[in-house]
Amino acid sequence: MTITSKPLAVIVLVIMFGGIAFSSAMGWWVTESTKQPVTFTEGDFAGQANPADIRGSYTFGDIAKSFDVTPEVLAQAFGVTEGDPAAFAVKELEVISLDSGYEIGTVSVRLFVAYYTGLPFDTTGQEIYLPQPATDILLAKGNLTSEQIAYLEKYKVTLGASAPVAESTLVVVATSSTVSEENIVKGKTTFGELLAWGVSQEIIESIIGAPLPDLAMTMKDYASANGLNFETLKPALQAEVDKVKP
Amino acid sequence: MVTIFGKRIRLFRPRTIWIRRVVQWFFFLLIALIAINHTLVQNGSGIPILSSASLHAVCPFGGVETLYTFAASGLLVKKIHDSSLVLAGIVLVLSFLFGPVFCGWVCPLGTVQEWVGKLGKKIFKRKYNHFVPARIDNILRYARYVILIWVLYVTTTSGVLIFEAYDPYFALFNFWSTEVAWTALVILGGMLLLSIFVERPWCKYACPYGAVLGITNLFRVFSIKRAESTCKADGACSIMCPMNIPVDSVKVVRDHQCISCLECTSEAICPVAKTVVFTTGDVK
Repeated sequence: MTITSKPLAVIVLVIMFGGIAFSSAMGWWVTESTKQPVTFTEGDFAGQANPADIRGSYTFGDIAKSFDVTPEVLAQAFGVTEGDPAAFAVKELEVISLDSGYEIGTVSVRLFVAYYTGLPFDTTGQEIYLPQPATDILLAKGNLTSEQIAYLEKYKVTLGASAPVAESTLVVVATSSTVSEENIVKGKTTFGELLAWGVSQEIIESIIGAPLPDLAMTMKDYASANGLNFETLKPALQAEVDKVKP
Repeated sequence: MVTIFGKRIRLFRPRTIWIRRVVQWFFFLLIALIAINHTLVQNGSGIPILSSASLHAVCPFGGVETLYTFAASGLLVKKIHDSSLVLAGIVLVLSFLFGPVFCGWVCPLGTVQEWVGKLGKKIFKRKYNHFVPARIDNILRYARYVILIWVLYVTTTSGVLIFEAYDPYFALFNFWSTEVAWTALVILGGMLLLSIFVERPWCKYACPYGAVLGITNLFRVFSIKRAESTCKADGACSIMCPMNIPVDSVKVVRDHQCISCLECTSEAICPVAKTVVFTTGDVK
């Protein structure tokens, strides 16, 4: 059987778009994430969206659908002054904050949403910076614990040359460069990284209560896939990481 | 058709496979519009009806990159979506049948290299696409397998699309975005510059997806075959081949670099009918 260019062109188009149509019909053609964070599976907040699962691809509008915080409040908190706040993607924050020298990004939004809505969020071992407007909004809301207020004061930053810089912020600048180099267990930390940091396979397996999964799997994905709460795994893993720190 | 010295020769024939150009244009515009629409939607507007998927979602190589992670854990590498796996499967089916027809007919990065290459052909005439010494060229052709192994290794171990920072395809359709790494832009620029001297330099020497698909040339159902009994041995097929495959010296093209463009066949450059054909059967 010999084939020439025109039938080949038709076959290529038919197989390409026919395959896509078939996969759509089967529900396999998924081109974007659901933009819905996982929910707490246990405790007083079971069933509510977990701010720790907010992703960089979410817009402020996506966050507003899952949490009781408006895009306008988020925009005000993070100094987003141009465009539609609801369409602003969280990952854009990292670009905006590049000049500041701080990592104000997805994790900052997670913290803000958690404190704003009163949902649990573990900051143990993490240095999460928030811009001053965000801190002001949270303090004005008045529903924070004394530990949370202390945390905010410690890690608030003032962006922009014209704004006054708080003394506490300068202290953070002095310490952040050394602290940030330490090995911190985060949601995006992979099991491969844990091994690379010196935590043995046996210890990891004893903490997760199962054989070591794929080394590329992140803590967050593992917890989600196994119905676990990452926030409960994290302290134990971090403790082991701290033990083997050079 | 006329018969000269017992051989049927077509006097007026297209010198290229024009329908391939049409298909290439179609996919280039489709991907470009989807990429633009993705940005527009992120900014609160967008083109109705048209998909606003991310470039990662419509790239079949993402399916290859995430394959191990997906098989091992059921998860996808960050930024990759199910659609990438679907596309990888579709392209694999096409490649089993026709070889890397995706590279020659669909991939917009290959298309852009061909467009730039036209400038090189005008400048350098017959010297074009023959600058790299054969000895070095033969070695460099395998570099894309090294890159493939590296990409799969770093993606699997990190769970992150590290190749994105070096991917000229991502840079081509996202150069206006802050997501593109400068390294990818530099590689894109270098690739376009090289395309003035060498046809499809990225495909030949660096493309990890081309490396995967190129393997199907060894066992594809339809192959480029040359009938020795009617061949004039004028070398036209080899000269025309964008990948510098010596078609006139083999009966069946099994070269891992063939992109199934059909430019060497009797439908295009070969002047003798049914001498270089894309077929499943034997030719004499």
